[in-house]
Amino acid sequence: MTSPLRDELKAFETLAENFALKELSPRREESDRYPFGPFPDDILEKAYEVGFLGITLPEELGGIGQGISALCNVLERICRADASLGAVIFTNTLSQEIIMRAGGSDILGRILSSPADAKGFLIAFPSYSNPAEHSGLPAAKKGANGYALSGKVDYAVLGNLASHALVPARTSGLDGYSLFLISLNDPRVRKSEPVFSLGVHACPACDLVLSNAEATLIGGEDRGKDPYEDASDFMNAAAAAMSLGVMRGSFDYALAYCNEREQGGWPIVNWSEIKMILSSMAVQVEVAGMAVSEACCAIENKVSNGKTLARAAALFVQDAACLLTTDGIQVLGGYGYMKDYGQEKRFRDAKQLQALLGLSPLRKLRFMDQINAKA
Amino acid sequence: MITGSEMKALLNRFPKFEDSCIGLEYAPRLPKGIVGETKELIAYARKFNDEVIRPRVLVLDRETFEDPGYLPHDIMKTASDWGFYTMWVPRLFGGRGKNLPSLTYTIEEISAACAGIANVIGVHFLGVTSLMTSFNMKLTAKILKETVEGEKKGEPCLISFGLTEPMAGTDVEEMDLVDRGKVVTHAKRVDGGYLVNGRKVFISMGHMSEWTAFYAYTDMKKPSKSMIGLAVRKGTKGFSLGRHEDKMGQRVCPASEIIFEDCFIPDEDVMIDSYSMKKFTKKSADAIMMRHIDYLASATKAGVCAISVGVARGALEDAIKYASETTVAGRLLINHEWAQCILAEMYKNVILGRLAYTEANNANAHRGTYEMLQVKPAYYYLKYMPDAYFRMIAPMLEKPFSTWAMSKMYLDRKPDKDVFLTSGMSSLAKFAGSDFGIRNCQLALEIMGQEGLRHDRGMEKRLRDCKVLQIYEGSNQMNRVALFKNLIAPSYPQARVWGESAREVL
Repeated sequence: MTSPLRDELKAFETLAENFALKELSPRREESDRYPFGPFPDDILEKAYEVGFLGITLPEELGGIGQGISALCNVLERICRADASLGAVIFTNTLSQEIIMRAGGSDILGRILSSPADAKGFLIAFPSYSNPAEHSGLPAAKKGANGYALSGKVDYAVLGNLASHALVPARTSGLDGYSLFLISLNDPRVRKSEPVFSLGVHACPACDLVLSNAEATLIGGEDRGKDPYEDASDFMNAAAAAMSLGVMRGSFDYALAYCNEREQGGWPIVNWSEIKMILSSMAVQVEVAGMAVSEACCAIENKVSNGKTLARAAALFVQDAACLLTTDGIQVLGGYGYMKDYGQEKRFRDAKQLQALLGLSPLRKLRFMDQINAKA
Repeated sequence: MITGSEMKALLNRFPKFEDSCIGLEYAPRLPKGIVGETKELIAYARKFNDEVIRPRVLVLDRETFEDPGYLPHDIMKTASDWGFYTMWVPRLFGGRGKNLPSLTYTIEEISAACAGIANVIGVHFLGVTSLMTSFNMKLTAKILKETVEGEKKGEPCLISFGLTEPMAGTDVEEMDLVDRGKVVTHAKRVDGGYLVNGRKVFISMGHMSEWTAFYAYTDMKKPSKSMIGLAVRKGTKGFSLGRHEDKMGQRVCPASEIIFEDCFIPDEDVMIDSYSMKKFTKKSADAIMMRHIDYLASATKAGVCAISVGVARGALEDAIKYASETTVAGRLLINHEWAQCILAEMYKNVILGRLAYTEANNANAHRGTYEMLQVKPAYYYLKYMPDAYFRMIAPMLEKPFSTWAMSKMYLDRKPDKDVFLTSGMSSLAKFAGSDFGIRNCQLALEIMGQEGLRHDRGMEKRLRDCKVLQIYEGSNQMNRVALFKNLIAPSYPQARVWGESAREVL
């Protein structure tokens, strides 16, 4: 990596760190109350203003044109404080990356050229499922004036915030799926209330019901799979970075607490069983950190096994985050279970993030298929 | 093949046969009536789940998010109408007198539908057990009579138990640690009783209980030598309820802060006091109180395991249902081999978890707390004598004789090795079960993907409900040390526990 690039990365790190510290941490519990409390619109606006909603989007399309390393650095630091905004950035970036890879940059430029606010810049996507695994995709019908979609889209992330959604749908008679852009202001799109979920409450999803919704085909008919998988490879590194952020957040808090809390007459960090747990958490954080930065480097330098590394990193770090955040509550005892301390949220968020990009067992199987295909 | 004395010597070696094959060793002693009684209760709990819990569990949980001040008055009233709050109160005290191990099977069943509601019911028996193991039959009879009458009147009279303090969790559960800890609940001896000041936290159902049994210390410099058990009625001057916590799960069951400010507790509500026990036993003050903690925890930790197994089972049931209805990558999920193996793993966890609490029950029934009620003659006597008989002998409980008899049986005659076994096995059940619970919830969510994340599917709630099971009734780490202390260390004289922070160099 050349040094100006490193300097630029450093600047993003600092920006994200300050943002997390000033905007996210103080209001984490309040934001997490959504949908039973207000959505933190102002935080989303600020994230948009500093460019977090278009980190890898080229400048000519309204983004800041950075690569995977910048995206991962920002996501990790954001997720240390609050993974919800991380998941917003992730889903929006995933939509952008899929559209660009499907050859839809022009369309993207058109809809992102003059958004009224941050929400105008958001494109919803069912980012917790791989369309190829899904048996119930909506059906697309071609008419004289383009395409119309009918059916259900489950768990469209950002569905009740965004102006547009990227929707995978089946074109009758064809096996695969195609990608369509729809407007969420279309009266033929019915949105459910936000789906109350396990984690990342301030990155809400909703179910959509489409009744002949007007849709723009992105890329070729029945050609959705390649751009999706290609973008997914890239975004696996980002998913790993998010879980890494949650891990660091959980470990940092646990360590600080164990130095403060006393049982048996001294800080519990001195009890060797607690120290053992903390040590194992620290090892996991360090190894996960290496996995993410290695995957980023490989993608950035276009090394041939970059995709493999990104997928491996995601699978490893997401699993590790679920285990680590369990201990992150455990060392706080009863306090860890309460909403006042952030650790229970990290535990929920870690499990939620593990489900990104499709069922994790199927992602593991496909990972093996990829390796086998190469061999 | 082998001589009798040789066999005895070999079987008494660590690990001793009678301590490690408890179910087998004591199987012939099990009164058969227990089996039918337990089956009836499991069926009753399933009916309760179908009619009461399942139709509204998710609506209730959502309500707790919409209104963080939510308290389960409605559910408590319904559980009372179904008779749960007197179900395991002995007939001697006017209750329904079901055998105590059957409580765990019932609680597992209810937890499979909702662990929070299971605790709304189950934690009352933590309070009941704290009284029943206190050697103070007079106070026990007084409070349980109110519970029985409360149920008849439709005004539930629940009992909670207060142990944890803001700065002392593990410390208050171990006499070896409490002197090094920062306890705050002070009881000052005054004319006719005690004046209490201090604070307790995370007291399950504190806001809902008529009575709270709790520990306090008369000498803050020597808590281990000066611990006493008291009971306080809601509304007593100087006793107040603070906030109830905003928890990740089991939200239907409040975890309360309780506050004492110059709260006067009269002598008649002193539950256990090592000073007055001196006329009945030669055991030291800390040994008496440690026995109380051990007897109580041996019963309730098996209960936490049962809640955990219920959650683990609920997760399994959710995962099977989802897998059998959902097509993934062109094939029903249940027909993917990897998914079958995950379901098998989850099934295994449920069975092993249940075996763990069953063995803890066996230890309690034949070597511990329930022993007196579980030997065949006593069991059938208590089961079949008419109510009038118990009404007749009930006044006996108020005589010092009853305290004397209890303390002979549970303090002087009960060997340490039995207490080690019941404490060790209940700790084992507690951490094994709750780890299985978390594991099953994690696996179910992995199988279900985005569907599992939605509140309206119910699975994510199980994970949230489950996590606290690794924490309450002693963190799983503390329970691992307790297993070592009770099941391993007694055979190795050089072993010391909780020694790392002591001044002595080992």
